[in-house]
Amino acid sequence: MSAEPQPRAEPFRLRGANFNLLVLRLLDARIDAVVPALGDQFKRAPGFLRFAPVVIGLGDLAVPPAEMDFVALVRELKALEIVAIGTTGGTPELRQAAIAAGLPPLRQSGGDEAAPSSAPAAPATAPVNPPPAPLAPSGLRPTMIVDQPVRAGQRVWAQGADMIVTSTVNAGAEVIADGNIHVYGALRGRAIAGGADNLGARIFAQNFDPELVSIAGFYAVREGLGKAPIGRATQVRLAGESLRFDPFGA
Amino acid sequence: MAQVVVITSGKGGVGKTTSSAAIATGLAQRGKKTVVIDFDVGLRNLDLIMGVERRVVFDIVNVIQGEAKLNQALIRDKRVENLAILPASQTRDKDALTKEGVQIIIEELSKEYDYVICDSPAGIEKGALLALYFADQAIVVTNPEVSSVRDSDRILGVLQSKSKRAEEKREPVKEHLLVTRYDPARVERGEMLKLEDIQEILAIPLLGVVPESESVLRASNTGTPVILDAESPAGLAYGDAVARFLGEERPHRFLEVEKKGLFKRLFGGRAA
Ligand SMILES: Nc1ncnc2c1ncn2[C@@H]1O[C@H](COP(=O)(O)OP(=O)(O)OP(=O)(O)O)[C@@H](O)[C@H]1O
Ligand SMILES: [Mg+2]
Repeated sequence: MSAEPQPRAEPFRLRGANFNLLVLRLLDARIDAVVPALGDQFKRAPGFLRFAPVVIGLGDLAVPPAEMDFVALVRELKALEIVAIGTTGGTPELRQAAIAAGLPPLRQSGGDEAAPSSAPAAPATAPVNPPPAPLAPSGLRPTMIVDQPVRAGQRVWAQGADMIVTSTVNAGAEVIADGNIHVYGALRGRAIAGGADNLGARIFAQNFDPELVSIAGFYAVREGLGKAPIGRATQVRLAGESLRFDPFGA
Repeated sequence: MAQVVVITSGKGGVGKTTSSAAIATGLAQRGKKTVVIDFDVGLRNLDLIMGVERRVVFDIVNVIQGEAKLNQALIRDKRVENLAILPASQTRDKDALTKEGVQIIIEELSKEYDYVICDSPAGIEKGALLALYFADQAIVVTNPEVSSVRDSDRILGVLQSKSKRAEEKREPVKEHLLVTRYDPARVERGEMLKLEDIQEILAIPLLGVVPESESVLRASNTGTPVILDAESPAGLAYGDAVARFLGEERPHRFLEVEKKGLFKRLFGGRAA
Protein backbone atom coordinates (compact mmCIF):
# COMPACT_ATOMS: atom_id res chain seq x y z
CA MET A 1 0.00 0.00 0.00
CA SER A 2 2.94 2.29 -0.37
CA ALA A 3 2.13 5.41 -2.35
CA GLU A 4 5.07 5.84 -4.66
CA PRO A 5 5.15 9.32 -6.07
CA GLN A 6 4.54 9.14 -9.79
CA PRO A 7 7.77 9.95 -11.55
CA ARG A 8 7.19 12.87 -13.88
CA ALA A 9 8.54 12.64 -17.38
CA GLU A 10 9.65 16.27 -17.31
CA PRO A 11 9.86 18.45 -14.23
CA PHE A 12 9.30 21.73 -16.10
CA ARG A 13 8.75 23.37 -19.42
CA LEU A 14 10.23 26.55 -20.72
CA ARG A 15 8.00 28.66 -22.89
CA GLY A 16 8.09 32.16 -24.24
CA ALA A 17 5.17 34.42 -23.36
CA ASN A 18 4.29 38.08 -23.70
CA PHE A 19 3.20 40.09 -20.70
CA ASN A 20 1.70 43.51 -20.37
CA LEU A 21 3.77 45.48 -17.90
CA LEU A 22 3.77 48.98 -16.57
CA VAL A 23 6.93 50.99 -17.03
CA LEU A 24 7.95 53.40 -14.29
CA ARG A 25 10.04 55.93 -16.20
CA LEU A 26 12.47 57.62 -13.87
CA LEU A 27 12.94 61.31 -14.59
CA ASP A 28 15.10 61.89 -11.53
CA ALA A 29 17.85 59.66 -10.16
CA ARG A 30 17.36 60.75 -6.55
CA ILE A 31 15.43 58.11 -4.64
CA ASP A 32 14.39 60.67 -2.05
CA ALA A 33 12.73 62.70 -4.80
CA VAL A 34 11.06 59.81 -6.61
CA VAL A 35 9.72 57.76 -3.71
CA PRO A 36 7.80 60.44 -1.79
CA ALA A 37 6.18 61.59 -5.04
CA LEU A 38 5.16 58.02 -5.81
CA GLY A 39 3.95 57.48 -2.28
CA ASP A 40 1.82 60.58 -2.66
CA GLN A 41 0.22 59.30 -5.83
CA PHE A 42 -0.49 55.93 -4.34
CA LYS A 43 -1.95 57.34 -1.18
CA ARG A 44 -4.59 58.95 -3.35
CA ALA A 45 -5.10 55.78 -5.32
CA PRO A 46 -4.52 53.08 -2.73
CA GLY A 47 -4.31 49.56 -4.01
CA PHE A 48 -4.15 50.77 -7.58
CA LEU A 49 -0.92 49.02 -8.38
CA ARG A 50 -0.68 46.83 -5.34
CA PHE A 51 1.92 44.15 -5.94
CA ALA A 52 1.85 44.95 -9.64
CA PRO A 53 5.15 44.18 -11.31
CA VAL A 54 6.73 47.26 -12.89
CA VAL A 55 9.69 47.77 -15.15
CA ILE A 56 12.02 50.65 -14.35
CA GLY A 57 12.50 52.85 -17.41
CA LEU A 58 16.02 54.25 -17.47
CA GLY A 59 15.89 56.02 -20.84
CA ASP A 60 15.50 59.51 -19.37
CA LEU A 61 18.31 59.25 -16.85
CA ALA A 62 21.59 60.91 -17.78
CA VAL A 63 23.58 60.10 -14.65
CA PRO A 64 26.59 57.92 -13.97
CA PRO A 65 25.70 54.60 -12.31
CA ALA A 66 27.25 55.73 -9.01
CA GLU A 67 24.43 58.24 -8.62
CA MET A 68 21.68 55.68 -8.96
CA ASP A 69 21.06 53.45 -5.93
CA PHE A 70 19.02 50.57 -7.37
CA VAL A 71 19.09 48.55 -4.17
CA ALA A 72 17.44 51.39 -2.27
CA LEU A 73 14.95 51.93 -5.09
CA VAL A 74 13.81 48.30 -5.04
CA ARG A 75 13.48 48.40 -1.26
CA GLU A 76 11.49 51.62 -1.20
CA LEU A 77 9.18 50.49 -4.00
CA LYS A 78 8.54 47.28 -2.12
CA ALA A 79 7.47 49.32 0.89
CA LEU A 80 4.86 50.89 -1.42
CA GLU A 81 3.80 47.39 -2.50
CA ILE A 82 5.22 47.91 -5.98
CA VAL A 83 7.45 45.13 -7.25
CA ALA A 84 10.27 46.12 -9.63
CA ILE A 85 11.16 43.22 -11.90
CA GLY A 86 13.67 44.66 -14.36
CA THR A 87 14.75 47.63 -16.39
CA THR A 88 14.30 48.94 -19.87
CA GLY A 89 16.40 51.47 -21.80
CA GLY A 90 19.25 53.45 -20.30
CA THR A 91 22.99 53.35 -20.78
CA PRO A 92 24.85 50.03 -20.63
CA GLU A 93 26.53 51.23 -17.40
CA LEU A 94 23.20 51.93 -15.74
CA ARG A 95 21.83 48.59 -16.87
CA GLN A 96 24.87 46.85 -15.40
CA ALA A 97 24.35 48.60 -12.08
CA ALA A 98 20.72 47.50 -12.13
CA ILE A 99 21.69 43.90 -12.84
CA ALA A 100 23.90 43.98 -9.77
CA ALA A 101 20.80 44.95 -7.77
CA GLY A 102 18.80 42.06 -9.20
CA LEU A 103 17.03 43.98 -11.96
CA PRO A 104 17.71 42.37 -15.36
CA PRO A 105 17.20 44.37 -18.54
CA LEU A 106 14.03 43.44 -20.41
CA ARG A 107 13.63 43.63 -24.13
CA GLN A 108 10.62 45.57 -25.37
CA SER A 109 8.46 44.08 -28.09
CA GLY A 110 9.75 45.39 -31.38
CA GLY A 111 13.28 45.21 -30.04
CA ASP A 112 13.89 48.96 -30.07
CA GLU A 113 15.50 48.77 -26.68
CA ALA A 114 17.34 45.49 -27.03
CA ALA A 115 19.20 44.16 -24.05
CA PRO A 116 22.89 44.80 -24.48
CA SER A 117 25.05 41.87 -25.42
CA SER A 118 27.32 42.96 -22.60
CA ALA A 119 24.75 41.85 -20.05
CA PRO A 120 26.08 38.47 -19.01
CA ALA A 121 23.83 38.23 -15.95
CA ALA A 122 20.69 38.45 -18.01
CA PRO A 123 19.16 35.03 -17.48
CA ALA A 124 18.61 32.74 -20.42
CA THR A 125 14.92 32.93 -19.62
CA ALA A 126 14.79 36.67 -20.30
CA PRO A 127 11.57 37.43 -22.12
CA VAL A 128 11.41 35.94 -25.53
CA ASN A 129 9.02 37.40 -28.04
CA PRO A 130 7.13 34.63 -29.75
CA PRO A 131 4.92 35.66 -32.63
CA PRO A 132 1.54 36.82 -31.35
CA ALA A 133 -0.87 33.99 -30.72
CA PRO A 134 -3.22 33.42 -33.63
CA LEU A 135 -6.67 34.87 -33.12
CA ALA A 136 -9.69 32.67 -32.62
CA PRO A 137 -11.50 31.80 -35.89
CA SER A 138 -13.92 34.69 -35.36
CA GLY A 139 -10.92 36.99 -34.99
CA LEU A 140 -12.45 38.43 -31.81
CA ARG A 141 -12.26 37.87 -28.11
CA PRO A 142 -15.77 37.97 -26.71
CA THR A 143 -16.66 41.20 -24.96
CA MET A 144 -17.44 40.70 -21.30
CA ILE A 145 -20.96 41.87 -20.50
CA VAL A 146 -21.82 42.65 -16.89
CA ASP A 147 -25.55 42.94 -16.25
CA GLN A 148 -25.46 43.46 -12.48
CA PRO A 149 -24.33 46.64 -10.77
CA VAL A 150 -20.65 46.28 -9.83
CA ARG A 151 -20.73 46.91 -6.10
CA ALA A 152 -18.33 48.34 -3.54
CA GLY A 153 -15.55 45.85 -2.85
CA GLN A 154 -16.08 43.97 -6.12
CA ARG A 155 -13.53 43.87 -8.92
CA VAL A 156 -14.31 42.61 -12.40
CA TRP A 157 -11.61 41.98 -14.97
CA ALA A 158 -12.14 41.45 -18.69
CA GLN A 159 -8.95 39.70 -19.60
CA GLY A 160 -7.81 40.42 -23.13
CA ALA A 161 -11.22 41.85 -24.00
CA ASP A 162 -13.59 44.80 -23.89
CA MET A 163 -16.12 45.20 -21.12
CA ILE A 164 -19.69 46.46 -21.15
CA VAL A 165 -21.44 47.22 -17.88
CA THR A 166 -25.16 47.67 -18.54
CA SER A 167 -25.85 49.21 -15.12
CA THR A 168 -23.58 51.08 -12.72
CA VAL A 169 -20.08 50.76 -11.32
CA ASN A 170 -20.58 51.91 -7.75
CA ALA A 171 -18.14 53.83 -5.58
CA GLY A 172 -15.58 51.44 -4.14
CA ALA A 173 -15.91 49.03 -7.09
CA GLU A 174 -13.31 48.44 -9.79
CA VAL A 175 -13.65 47.41 -13.44
CA ILE A 176 -10.55 46.45 -15.41
CA ALA A 177 -10.33 45.59 -19.10
CA ASP A 178 -7.42 45.05 -21.42
CA GLY A 179 -9.59 46.67 -24.09
CA ASN A 180 -12.26 49.39 -23.87
CA ILE A 181 -14.73 49.88 -21.05
CA HIS A 182 -18.33 50.97 -21.63
CA VAL A 183 -20.57 51.81 -18.70
CA TYR A 184 -24.17 52.44 -19.67
CA GLY A 185 -25.14 53.58 -16.18
CA ALA A 186 -23.10 55.69 -13.79
CA LEU A 187 -19.37 55.16 -13.37
CA ARG A 188 -18.71 56.02 -9.73
CA GLY A 189 -15.88 53.62 -8.95
CA ARG A 190 -12.61 52.96 -10.76
CA ALA A 191 -12.25 52.08 -14.42
CA ILE A 192 -8.93 50.80 -15.68
CA ALA A 193 -8.78 50.21 -19.43
CA GLY A 194 -6.14 49.26 -21.94
CA GLY A 195 -4.08 46.88 -19.81
CA ALA A 196 -0.52 48.11 -19.71
CA ASP A 197 0.09 49.04 -23.32
CA ASN A 198 -3.13 49.40 -25.25
CA LEU A 199 -2.77 53.14 -25.75
CA GLY A 200 -5.81 53.29 -28.03
CA ALA A 201 -8.24 51.97 -25.43
CA ARG A 202 -11.08 54.23 -24.31
CA ILE A 203 -13.54 54.47 -21.46
CA PHE A 204 -17.15 55.48 -22.10
CA ALA A 205 -19.59 56.25 -19.32
CA GLN A 206 -23.16 57.46 -19.60
CA ASN A 207 -22.85 59.26 -16.26
CA PHE A 208 -19.20 60.04 -15.60
CA ASP A 209 -18.47 60.38 -11.88
CA PRO A 210 -15.45 58.15 -11.24
CA GLU A 211 -13.01 57.77 -8.36
CA LEU A 212 -10.22 56.95 -10.78
CA VAL A 213 -9.77 56.31 -14.49
CA SER A 214 -6.73 54.82 -16.17
CA ILE A 215 -5.76 54.00 -19.72
CA ALA A 216 -2.69 51.87 -20.36
CA GLY A 217 -1.27 52.86 -16.99
CA PHE A 218 -1.85 56.61 -17.36
CA TYR A 219 -4.32 57.45 -14.68
CA ALA A 220 -6.15 60.30 -13.02
CA VAL A 221 -7.71 60.31 -9.57
CA ARG A 222 -10.80 62.36 -8.87
CA GLU A 223 -8.87 65.51 -7.93
CA GLY A 224 -6.98 65.27 -11.17
CA LEU A 225 -10.09 65.27 -13.34
CA GLY A 226 -10.12 69.05 -13.57
CA LYS A 227 -12.44 70.16 -16.33
CA ALA A 228 -13.79 66.71 -17.12
CA PRO A 229 -17.56 66.76 -17.75
CA ILE A 230 -18.58 65.19 -14.44
CA GLY A 231 -22.07 63.75 -14.38
CA ARG A 232 -22.37 63.71 -18.18
CA ALA A 233 -21.88 61.17 -20.92
CA THR A 234 -18.13 61.18 -21.29
CA GLN A 235 -15.39 59.37 -23.10
CA VAL A 236 -11.84 59.14 -21.90
CA ARG A 237 -8.88 58.58 -24.18
CA LEU A 238 -5.17 59.06 -24.15
CA ALA A 239 -3.74 62.11 -25.91
CA GLY A 240 0.01 61.87 -25.75
CA GLU A 241 0.68 61.24 -22.10
CA SER A 242 -2.40 62.77 -20.63
CA LEU A 243 -5.99 61.71 -20.40
CA ARG A 244 -8.54 63.59 -22.41
CA PHE A 245 -12.21 63.84 -21.42
CA ASP A 246 -14.87 64.64 -23.98
CA PRO A 247 -18.63 64.63 -23.78
CA PHE A 248 -20.29 62.33 -26.28
CA GLY A 249 -23.82 61.81 -27.57
CA ALA A 250 -26.45 64.53 -27.71
CA MET B 1 -39.83 24.52 4.19
CA ALA B 2 -39.25 27.82 5.91
CA GLN B 3 -37.94 30.91 4.20
CA VAL B 4 -34.66 31.99 5.78
CA VAL B 5 -34.42 35.79 5.87
CA VAL B 6 -31.28 37.63 6.94
CA ILE B 7 -31.47 41.21 8.21
CA THR B 8 -28.09 42.69 7.41
CA SER B 9 -26.35 46.00 6.70
CA GLY B 10 -22.57 45.94 6.85
CA LYS B 11 -22.47 49.10 8.94
CA GLY B 12 -23.26 48.87 12.65
CA GLY B 13 -26.03 50.60 14.56
CA VAL B 14 -28.31 51.25 11.60
CA GLY B 15 -31.33 49.39 12.99
CA LYS B 16 -30.89 45.70 12.15
CA THR B 17 -31.98 44.43 15.56
CA THR B 18 -34.84 46.93 15.79
CA SER B 19 -35.97 45.78 12.34
CA SER B 20 -35.52 42.07 13.10
CA ALA B 21 -37.71 42.36 16.19
CA ALA B 22 -40.35 44.41 14.39
CA ILE B 23 -40.51 42.29 11.25
CA ALA B 24 -40.51 38.97 13.10
CA THR B 25 -43.31 40.22 15.34
CA GLY B 26 -45.23 41.56 12.34
CA LEU B 27 -45.01 38.25 10.49
CA ALA B 28 -46.20 36.38 13.57
CA GLN B 29 -49.10 38.82 14.01
CA ARG B 30 -50.16 37.90 10.50
CA GLY B 31 -50.26 34.24 11.41
CA LYS B 32 -46.87 33.15 10.11
CA LYS B 33 -44.93 30.85 12.40
CA THR B 34 -41.77 32.85 12.92
CA VAL B 35 -38.52 32.40 14.80
CA VAL B 36 -35.90 35.12 15.10
CA ILE B 37 -32.26 34.20 15.74
CA ASP B 38 -29.70 36.57 17.27
CA PHE B 39 -26.37 36.01 15.50
CA ASP B 40 -24.57 38.74 17.43
CA VAL B 41 -22.62 36.46 19.74
CA GLY B 42 -21.00 38.40 22.56
CA LEU B 43 -23.15 41.51 22.00
CA ARG B 44 -26.59 40.01 22.17
CA ASN B 45 -29.42 42.47 22.49
CA LEU B 46 -32.29 41.07 20.48
CA ASP B 47 -33.59 39.55 23.71
CA LEU B 48 -33.60 43.02 25.31
CA ILE B 49 -35.47 44.61 22.41
CA MET B 50 -37.95 41.73 22.52
CA GLY B 51 -38.30 42.06 26.29
CA VAL B 52 -37.34 38.45 27.04
CA GLU B 53 -33.88 38.94 28.57
CA ARG B 54 -35.04 37.63 31.95
CA ARG B 55 -36.21 34.39 30.40
CA VAL B 56 -32.94 33.40 28.72
CA VAL B 57 -31.63 30.10 30.06
CA PHE B 58 -29.83 28.56 27.12
CA ASP B 59 -28.61 30.15 23.91
CA ILE B 60 -27.62 29.21 20.38
CA VAL B 61 -24.08 28.28 21.41
CA ASN B 62 -25.38 25.87 24.04
CA VAL B 63 -27.45 24.19 21.34
CA ILE B 64 -24.56 23.97 18.89
CA GLN B 65 -22.32 22.50 21.55
CA GLY B 66 -24.91 19.94 22.57
CA GLU B 67 -25.44 21.37 26.04
CA ALA B 68 -29.13 22.04 25.43
CA LYS B 69 -31.90 20.97 23.09
CA LEU B 70 -33.15 23.51 20.57
CA ASN B 71 -36.55 23.49 22.23
CA GLN B 72 -35.03 24.34 25.60
CA ALA B 73 -33.27 27.37 24.15
CA LEU B 74 -36.22 28.76 22.18
CA ILE B 75 -38.18 31.41 24.04
CA ARG B 76 -41.82 31.72 23.07
CA ASP B 77 -43.15 35.25 22.96
CA LYS B 78 -45.94 35.98 25.45
CA ARG B 79 -47.56 38.84 23.54
CA VAL B 80 -47.79 37.36 20.07
CA GLU B 81 -48.62 33.81 19.14
CA ASN B 82 -46.45 31.97 16.62
CA LEU B 83 -43.30 33.85 17.62
CA ALA B 84 -40.10 32.44 19.14
CA ILE B 85 -36.67 33.88 19.86
CA LEU B 86 -33.36 32.06 19.81
CA PRO B 87 -30.95 34.22 21.81
CA ALA B 88 -27.23 34.64 21.24
CA SER B 89 -24.65 33.93 23.86
CA GLN B 90 -23.44 36.74 26.04
CA THR B 91 -20.31 35.02 27.24
CA ARG B 92 -18.84 33.08 24.36
CA ASP B 93 -16.55 34.31 21.68
CA LYS B 94 -17.57 34.52 18.04
CA ASP B 95 -15.81 31.31 17.05
CA ALA B 96 -18.33 29.30 19.01
CA LEU B 97 -20.70 29.57 16.03
CA THR B 98 -19.90 27.09 13.28
CA LYS B 99 -21.41 26.69 9.84
CA GLU B 100 -22.27 23.06 10.51
CA GLY B 101 -23.90 23.92 13.83
CA VAL B 102 -25.95 26.73 12.33
CA GLN B 103 -27.01 24.51 9.45
CA ILE B 104 -28.40 21.86 11.79
CA ILE B 105 -30.34 24.47 13.75
CA ILE B 106 -31.79 26.13 10.66
CA GLU B 107 -32.79 22.77 9.16
CA GLU B 108 -34.55 21.78 12.34
CA LEU B 109 -36.34 25.13 12.64
CA SER B 110 -37.33 24.96 8.97
CA LYS B 111 -39.49 21.93 9.64
CA GLU B 112 -41.69 23.80 12.06
CA TYR B 113 -41.60 27.48 11.12
CA ASP B 114 -42.62 29.52 8.09
CA TYR B 115 -39.94 32.16 8.57
CA VAL B 116 -36.49 32.02 10.14
CA ILE B 117 -35.29 35.61 10.65
CA CYS B 118 -31.54 36.02 11.18
CA ASP B 119 -30.43 39.21 12.96
CA SER B 120 -26.90 39.73 11.63
CA PRO B 121 -24.06 41.37 13.52
CA ALA B 122 -22.40 44.38 11.86
CA GLY B 123 -19.42 44.02 9.55
CA ILE B 124 -18.64 41.70 6.67
CA GLU B 125 -16.60 39.24 8.72
CA LYS B 126 -17.29 35.77 10.00
CA GLY B 127 -20.38 36.48 12.10
CA ALA B 128 -22.11 38.44 9.34
CA LEU B 129 -21.12 35.85 6.73
CA LEU B 130 -22.61 33.08 8.83
CA ALA B 131 -25.84 35.01 9.37
CA LEU B 132 -26.35 35.47 5.63
CA TYR B 133 -24.97 32.14 4.43
CA PHE B 134 -28.23 30.15 4.52
CA ALA B 135 -30.49 33.02 3.46
CA ASP B 136 -33.22 32.73 0.82
CA GLN B 137 -34.02 36.43 1.19
CA ALA B 138 -32.11 39.40 2.53
CA ILE B 139 -33.44 42.62 3.99
CA VAL B 140 -30.64 45.16 3.67
CA VAL B 141 -31.00 47.89 6.28
CA THR B 142 -29.59 51.27 5.25
CA ASN B 143 -29.54 54.72 6.83
CA PRO B 144 -29.62 57.77 4.56
CA GLU B 145 -25.91 58.44 4.79
CA VAL B 146 -23.04 57.78 2.42
CA SER B 147 -21.12 55.34 4.61
CA SER B 148 -24.17 53.23 5.34
CA VAL B 149 -25.12 53.04 1.66
CA ARG B 150 -21.56 52.08 0.75
CA ASP B 151 -21.56 49.26 3.31
CA SER B 152 -24.94 48.01 2.13
CA ASP B 153 -23.59 47.96 -1.41
CA ARG B 154 -20.68 45.89 -0.16
CA ILE B 155 -22.92 43.43 1.67
CA LEU B 156 -25.01 43.02 -1.51
CA GLY B 157 -21.83 42.03 -3.31
CA VAL B 158 -21.10 39.52 -0.56
CA LEU B 159 -24.62 38.06 -0.83
CA GLN B 160 -24.03 37.56 -4.54
CA SER B 161 -20.77 35.72 -4.03
CA LYS B 162 -20.60 34.15 -0.57
CA SER B 163 -24.11 32.94 0.25
CA LYS B 164 -24.94 29.25 -0.01
CA ARG B 165 -27.24 29.99 -2.92
CA ALA B 166 -24.41 31.75 -4.73
CA GLU B 167 -21.94 28.98 -4.00
CA GLU B 168 -24.36 26.38 -5.32
CA LYS B 169 -25.22 28.60 -8.30
CA ARG B 170 -28.90 28.44 -7.44
CA GLU B 171 -31.39 31.26 -7.91
CA PRO B 172 -29.84 34.25 -6.13
CA VAL B 173 -30.87 35.51 -2.71
CA LYS B 174 -33.93 37.77 -3.06
CA GLU B 175 -32.94 41.27 -1.97
CA HIS B 176 -35.04 43.96 -0.27
CA LEU B 177 -34.04 47.48 0.70
CA LEU B 178 -35.22 48.83 4.05
CA VAL B 179 -34.26 52.44 4.68
CA THR B 180 -34.43 53.30 8.38
CA ARG B 181 -33.97 56.45 10.49
CA TYR B 182 -35.18 58.48 7.52
CA ASP B 183 -35.56 62.09 8.56
CA PRO B 184 -37.36 64.06 5.82
CA ALA B 185 -36.45 67.42 7.39
CA ARG B 186 -32.76 66.62 7.33
CA VAL B 187 -33.07 65.23 3.83
CA GLU B 188 -34.72 68.47 2.75
CA ARG B 189 -31.85 70.45 4.26
CA GLY B 190 -29.40 68.31 2.32
CA GLU B 191 -27.89 66.77 5.45
CA MET B 192 -28.96 63.28 4.50
CA LEU B 193 -29.24 61.32 1.28
CA LYS B 194 -32.52 61.39 -0.58
CA LEU B 195 -34.44 58.14 -0.95
CA GLU B 196 -34.07 58.30 -4.74
CA ASP B 197 -30.30 58.60 -4.43
CA ILE B 198 -30.10 55.54 -2.20
CA GLN B 199 -32.29 53.57 -4.58
CA GLU B 200 -30.27 54.66 -7.56
CA ILE B 201 -27.04 53.40 -6.03
CA LEU B 202 -28.28 50.15 -4.52
CA ALA B 203 -30.72 49.30 -7.31
CA ILE B 204 -32.79 46.72 -5.41
CA PRO B 205 -36.55 46.75 -4.71
CA LEU B 206 -37.66 49.00 -1.85
CA LEU B 207 -39.42 47.19 0.99
CA GLY B 208 -40.00 50.21 3.18
CA VAL B 209 -38.85 53.47 4.68
CA VAL B 210 -38.92 53.75 8.47
CA PRO B 211 -38.78 57.33 9.73
CA GLU B 212 -36.54 58.52 12.54
CA SER B 213 -38.82 58.34 15.54
CA GLU B 214 -38.52 58.75 19.28
CA SER B 215 -40.89 55.86 19.72
CA VAL B 216 -38.09 53.44 18.73
CA LEU B 217 -36.00 54.30 21.74
CA ARG B 218 -39.03 54.19 24.00
CA ALA B 219 -39.97 50.79 22.60
CA SER B 220 -36.52 49.34 23.08
CA ASN B 221 -36.33 50.65 26.64
CA THR B 222 -39.55 48.85 27.49
CA GLY B 223 -38.66 45.71 25.57
CA THR B 224 -41.59 46.04 23.15
CA PRO B 225 -40.97 45.68 19.42
CA VAL B 226 -41.94 49.06 17.96
CA ILE B 227 -44.40 47.46 15.52
CA LEU B 228 -46.68 46.84 18.51
CA ASP B 229 -46.94 50.62 19.02
CA ALA B 230 -49.77 51.46 16.63
CA GLU B 231 -49.44 55.18 17.40
CA SER B 232 -45.88 55.44 16.22
CA PRO B 233 -44.89 56.32 12.65
CA ALA B 234 -42.00 53.85 12.86
CA GLY B 235 -44.37 51.11 14.02
CA LEU B 236 -46.78 51.86 11.16
CA ALA B 237 -43.93 51.90 8.66
CA TYR B 238 -42.76 48.47 9.83
CA GLY B 239 -46.36 47.25 9.53
CA ASP B 240 -46.40 48.42 5.91
CA ALA B 241 -43.05 46.77 5.24
CA VAL B 242 -44.29 43.42 6.56
CA ALA B 243 -47.43 43.69 4.43
CA ARG B 244 -45.30 44.39 1.33
CA PHE B 245 -42.99 41.52 2.24
CA LEU B 246 -46.04 39.25 2.11
CA GLY B 247 -46.98 40.59 -1.29
CA GLU B 248 -49.46 43.39 -0.51
CA GLU B 249 -49.19 46.73 -2.26
CA ARG B 250 -48.95 49.68 0.09
CA PRO B 251 -48.03 53.28 -0.74
CA HIS B 252 -44.92 54.58 1.00
CA ARG B 253 -45.52 57.20 3.69
CA PHE B 254 -43.48 59.37 6.05
CA LEU B 255 -41.33 60.54 3.13
CA GLU B 256 -42.21 64.22 3.39
CA VAL B 257 -41.81 66.73 6.18
CA GLU B 258 -45.04 66.79 8.13
CA LYS B 259 -46.80 70.13 7.73
CA LYS B 260 -47.84 71.29 11.14
CA GLY B 261 -51.44 72.45 11.35
CA LEU B 262 -52.38 75.81 12.86
CA PHE B 263 -53.44 74.19 16.09
CA LYS B 264 -50.14 72.37 16.54
CA ARG B 265 -48.18 75.45 15.58
CA LEU B 266 -50.03 77.56 18.16
CA PHE B 267 -49.55 75.12 20.96
CA GLY B 268 -46.29 73.59 19.86
CA GLY B 269 -47.91 70.21 20.34
CA ARG B 270 -45.92 67.12 19.61
CA ALA B 271 -47.55 63.89 18.76
CA ALA B 272 -45.43 60.78 18.80
N1 LIG C 1 -36.29 54.49 13.19
C1 LIG C 1 -35.50 54.81 14.23
N2 LIG C 1 -35.65 56.01 14.85
C2 LIG C 1 -34.88 56.36 15.89
N3 LIG C 1 -33.90 55.57 16.39
C3 LIG C 1 -33.69 54.37 15.83
C4 LIG C 1 -34.48 53.94 14.71
N4 LIG C 1 -34.03 52.69 14.35
C5 LIG C 1 -33.03 52.38 15.21
N5 LIG C 1 -32.83 53.38 16.10
C6 LIG C 1 -31.84 53.41 17.17
O1 LIG C 1 -30.57 53.16 16.63
C7 LIG C 1 -29.77 52.41 17.53
C8 LIG C 1 -29.24 51.16 16.85
O2 LIG C 1 -30.32 50.30 16.53
P1 LIG C 1 -30.14 48.72 16.45
O3 LIG C 1 -29.55 48.17 17.69
O4 LIG C 1 -31.42 48.16 15.96
O5 LIG C 1 -29.06 48.68 15.28
P2 LIG C 1 -28.19 47.43 14.80
O6 LIG C 1 -27.99 47.65 13.34
O7 LIG C 1 -28.82 46.16 15.23
O8 LIG C 1 -26.84 47.67 15.58
P3 LIG C 1 -25.60 46.63 15.69
O9 LIG C 1 -24.86 46.79 14.39
O10 LIG C 1 -24.83 47.14 16.85
O11 LIG C 1 -26.18 45.27 15.87
C9 LIG C 1 -30.65 52.10 18.72
O12 LIG C 1 -30.36 53.03 19.73
C10 LIG C 1 -32.04 52.31 18.19
O13 LIG C 1 -32.93 52.71 19.21
MG1 LIG D 1 -27.94 44.48 16.30
